[in-house]
Amino acid sequence: MKKIATALAVLALVLTGCGRPADNPSAAPQASSTIAAGPATGELTVWAMGAEGENLPNLLKDFEAANPDVKVTVTAIPWSAAHDKFTTAITAQKTPDLAMIGTTWMGEFAGLGALDPTPSSIDKNAFFPGAWGTTEVNGTSYGIPWYVETRLVYYRTDLAEKAGITTPPTDWDGLKAMAKAMQDKAGAKWGINLQPGGTGSWQTVMPFAWSNGAQLNNGDAWTFDTPQMSEAVKYYQSFFTEGISNKAPAANETAEPSFVDGSQPMFISGPWMMSAVEKVGGKGFADKYSVMAMPTRQTSASFVGGSNFGVFKNSQNKDAAWKLVQWLAQPEVQVKWYQLSTDLPSVSSAWQDPALASDTKLATFGTQLQTAVAPPSFATWEQVAARFDAEIEKVTKTGADVDASLKTVQSEAQSIGTGS
Amino acid sequence: MSTPTLAAPVGQRPTLSPEVRARSGRGHPGEGRAAWILAIPFTVLFAAFTVWPVVQSLFMSFTDTRQRDLRTPFSVNFIGVDNYVRALTDPVFVKAAANTAYFVLVGVPLTLAVALLAAVALDKGITRLRSVYRLGFYTPVITSIVAVAVVWRFILQPESGLLNTVLGWFGVQGPNWLGDPAWSMPSLIMMAVWRNFGTGMIIFLAGLQSVPYSLQEAAAIDGANGWQRFWNITFPLLRPTLLFVSVTTAVGYLQFFEEPFVMTSGGPLNSTISLSMYTYNQFGYGNYGLAAAMSYLIFVVIAVVTALQFRLLRENT
Repeated sequence: MKKIATALAVLALVLTGCGRPADNPSAAPQASSTIAAGPATGELTVWAMGAEGENLPNLLKDFEAANPDVKVTVTAIPWSAAHDKFTTAITAQKTPDLAMIGTTWMGEFAGLGALDPTPSSIDKNAFFPGAWGTTEVNGTSYGIPWYVETRLVYYRTDLAEKAGITTPPTDWDGLKAMAKAMQDKAGAKWGINLQPGGTGSWQTVMPFAWSNGAQLNNGDAWTFDTPQMSEAVKYYQSFFTEGISNKAPAANETAEPSFVDGSQPMFISGPWMMSAVEKVGGKGFADKYSVMAMPTRQTSASFVGGSNFGVFKNSQNKDAAWKLVQWLAQPEVQVKWYQLSTDLPSVSSAWQDPALASDTKLATFGTQLQTAVAPPSFATWEQVAARFDAEIEKVTKTGADVDASLKTVQSEAQSIGTGS
Repeated sequence: MSTPTLAAPVGQRPTLSPEVRARSGRGHPGEGRAAWILAIPFTVLFAAFTVWPVVQSLFMSFTDTRQRDLRTPFSVNFIGVDNYVRALTDPVFVKAAANTAYFVLVGVPLTLAVALLAAVALDKGITRLRSVYRLGFYTPVITSIVAVAVVWRFILQPESGLLNTVLGWFGVQGPNWLGDPAWSMPSLIMMAVWRNFGTGMIIFLAGLQSVPYSLQEAAAIDGANGWQRFWNITFPLLRPTLLFVSVTTAVGYLQFFEEPFVMTSGGPLNSTISLSMYTYNQFGYGNYGLAAAMSYLIFVVIAVVTALQFRLLRENT
């Protein structure tokens, strides 16, 4: 009995010690004004994920050559472990000086107070506006977009010709008519390979919504239940109800094989698919397909992804860290990085380099990037996106009512909040 | 220190010398201290790595802890059972609970039946190459789920998969196993049974071999046929083994996670999302309070199911 009483007393003590401190009226964090002149010095630790982590040291040799007194150590982290490693490091205040940061993590890390605001001497106008948007959390920018990717419509030129289409369509109706013609005249089983819901399907749905003038949020409020959004989702749904797209693909199906064998001669995806389909298609396949901009409703919009680079508040060597970030944003370094990694430059002037401009497919990506949009950098976005994906799945697979589904997403999103 | 004088027993018992008394009883405080000192390493480790996480997660489940609170784990609001209410009213959580129940109620009996069948076959029927079969049946248990998942995805391909090709030979049009919400869970159950019956089989085999041959012989002399001998002698004697296998299998299945995680990501239409996987997702979103509450709900279900099994399968009373 006595023990229980003691335990309860301790628990009561612990609980009374809890509770959030009252929100101090926090002023927007001020950007550390400028980056000092002169070369970078001291030691820097950098974290980067995946192939980028393995490739980055090759690029940084040039930085070390230009700044002889700096020593940069790159730690490569696998993507699967990266998020945990970052949050643990932030909690323990053992962050690197700077790191590659997934665009969807910005809201969370900035919310944890881990990131240093971008100095004003970094020019935001040098970057694609959509990509720059991924660095901004509550109006303050934390870091730079390092490399980008966006989504285009891939299509088989040979089969399109068979279907009687020689100039790619530019609007919604045209896209659907083309997919239908692929089915009717070019012998394709499915006109276009669209993802019927499931993880990440919002990346294919939202470009249509954005092109129709819909927005995901208005300030701190989610806006899923707007007429513009509804119209776009209904358009997306019609591909499945009209039998143009497969509503029951096999689990974990990839787009390449059916694109190459012509059974699904169109799909929407990012730049990495160029090498993927050419690998499956073999020699000469590069001439059998092309890419076109997302069809226009009010505008032509797409999704912009990629990764950012940010400096951590705990860094003891912030000046050198920002110098490295600034260096990474130089157009010629961005081109060099493209050649090393095939990651697309986030700095628009880098696209004038012949290495990128001479490739017509690549140039189409460059054009689309001008208008590509990123989702809001809320810490809760991935959670909301998962709910959106689940409703898209109902809409495409079971023909569920679009407006009812969007209302569900809206109420779920509002109850999840924006995490701020 | 003063040793309390024991009232001398009347005659029979010899009085113990003080040293012996101290060693055998609760005498010497110095020794108590030594015992505590010796126990400290374990106590500290146990407290830090076992008790504390349990206390903290339980505490977390009653608060609105989110990922951003990690640095200041105590400056969170105590919100009572709100997380539990939220979990139980979340339609996806309810769906996950129903999926888990489906998986357990169909999967556990099926796994036990297949395991017992294989064990009996290995014990009685198959005499040649017995160890080869035993190894073969057990191999899925020790194979990495990731590798297995890749192979099973090929097998379950709707158009070119092995399973539907074989069904096609008999004129059966196989379904889109993992892509159809009605068939995705049966597919995962099938895979889970295949993957897990080996463990049960090994344990049943040990149980079968401990059934005394003399009992079988006596029953045979009395004219019992093979089935009667199995049902009236072998099966009752296997009860403790059955209890053990069913409890461990059920506990494992109640937490099933890997199959949907690698095969279907919970889809299509949430038809294969499990309680553990949904909880894992919530942790991933940083909703630590809610996820902790979900974990404790799963814990309660496991405890109740296990208690029920003990009740149903305990020795005849």
